[in-house]
Amino acid sequence: MRLRLVGLALVAAVLAAGEARAQTLRPTLSGSVVTTRVRSQSTSPFIGAGPAFLGQGALAIRRLKLTVSYLQGTLDPDGALGASRPLVEGTVLLGVRALDWLTLETGPHARAYTLTGGTERWLFWELRACAATAFVGSTVRGYAELWRVVAANVNVPESFDHAQGGEAGMILRLGRSPLDARVGYRIDHAVLHAVPGGGKRLETVDGVVIGVGVNWR
Amino acid sequence: MRGWRLVAWLCLVVWALGAVPSSASAQSSDSLFVTGVRAYKNLEFDLAAWLLRRHLAQLTASGAPPAARAQGLVYLGAAELFRGRRDSAVAVFRRLVMLDPRYHPDRLVFPPEVTSLFDGVRLQTKTVTVDVPRDTTIAPGPGAFGIWVIASSFQTVEVTLRYEDGAPFRPLYSGPIGDSLKVPWDGLDAAGAPPPVNRVLLRVASRTATGDLAGIVQVPLDLRLSRPDTLPWPAPPADSQFLPERANTGTARRALLGGVVLSSAVAALPALVGGTDVSSGPRIAVAGTIGLAGLLGYVLHRPGRPLAANVRANQTLRDAWQRRVETATAENARRRRDVRVVVRAGQATALQPRGP
Repeated sequence: MRLRLVGLALVAAVLAAGEARAQTLRPTLSGSVVTTRVRSQSTSPFIGAGPAFLGQGALAIRRLKLTVSYLQGTLDPDGALGASRPLVEGTVLLGVRALDWLTLETGPHARAYTLTGGTERWLFWELRACAATAFVGSTVRGYAELWRVVAANVNVPESFDHAQGGEAGMILRLGRSPLDARVGYRIDHAVLHAVPGGGKRLETVDGVVIGVGVNWR
Repeated sequence: MRGWRLVAWLCLVVWALGAVPSSASAQSSDSLFVTGVRAYKNLEFDLAAWLLRRHLAQLTASGAPPAARAQGLVYLGAAELFRGRRDSAVAVFRRLVMLDPRYHPDRLVFPPEVTSLFDGVRLQTKTVTVDVPRDTTIAPGPGAFGIWVIASSFQTVEVTLRYEDGAPFRPLYSGPIGDSLKVPWDGLDAAGAPPPVNRVLLRVASRTATGDLAGIVQVPLDLRLSRPDTLPWPAPPADSQFLPERANTGTARRALLGGVVLSSAVAALPALVGGTDVSSGPRIAVAGTIGLAGLLGYVLHRPGRPLAANVRANQTLRDAWQRRVETATAENARRRRDVRVVVRAGQATALQPRGP
């Protein structure tokens, strides 16, 4: 069922691409620092935080938008005990601007933690809705994004139940400059089924995003 | 014998004229002229004079052009001269000169007695004809309307424009004239303004060497002022083209409301997605920053604040309209000055002073 939803979203995106002929590309690039914090509640809990670099790029043509992102950082555990966890994340999202202020996106979201015993891999297929509009003149745009995981594949003992997340913030652009500054807050939360003899696993990742971007028009 | 021949000729001509229908009067007039000239050449001067007088009477009645009457008159004058009636010949030649001051008898056709008498009459007769365009449109200015005055002989003329009641409208020329003279009229009245009346009389008065009035030729001129249409006044910019010059409440309210909603969304995100036990410090900092931005936006866009960019844009719009108005005003002023006068000349009439 979830795979079917993703498939339908992709078909809609491909159909929307029909309007995209003979239109100019609008690329954007941004680099951000994310103060990432992970809280994993399970049989082997982990709470850690650390800065991560987030790079994002997007290519828009008329109503169609392709977004890729890459995040890398190291999470240091709270307290003296425990080892640091390198974190790598990536997304590839294909989106359609349904309304002037609303974009619907879908695509894979991969996350990996490097542990001493191996690499923990998470792969989410997500549906996202992002609303954005200017609220202080044309200088400051606010945005809010919610996503829901429709399918997942994780190599942990627990079985995946559901996951969702969101991000909200603002983007500041002065005058006609192509540069913009961004500040936001993001969070995602995953729930995995308990295994026999074990507890339920709750995984929450959140962080503050502060970055700059370049927007060619 | 000569009397019998005249009677016979007259009978023949009367019979011929009575036989032709009245609709063929032009043709009979030509016949009279041809017959009269033939009689003149046959030295039948009495008959020739009689026929030519009939011919001229018919031409005068039918309003024939001067050129048509001139030929008859010169033969009539010559016939009268050879009949021994010099005074009649002088009167006929005088009539001919009055009709066409430039007329000269053909010296190959008429003997020196005739031509010298004619020249003498012409020198004594002070008359002019006036040649003006029948229907023309002029732009008032120097030399706009040319009046050709053609004189029979050297004389003094006074060329004036007059109102219909005879009062002076504009003097144009007063002085001697030899053969001909072109008198210009600028199309304006004495004050330099376009004519305020629809009709004036062009009057040329001829005077003898002693200053006596010899004759007047008068041509009525119908005048009509023609002004080009003026441009319509440029419409002022529509209200919808103007940008608001002062911030309205919407922008400020949007900034404040947007900041509140967005910062609330940031604060509520963990609860919304189900995250538990997350650190609230950074999140609240972001929410506070967004809220502050909204508050700052409200202050910057507070209601009633002058919007300099919009004021400039509106002023540019007003200036552009003002320039269009000035251009139209200047063009209309130019068009109002660009008055044309349509002049239509009527039939010339000659007035002769009464004798003592």
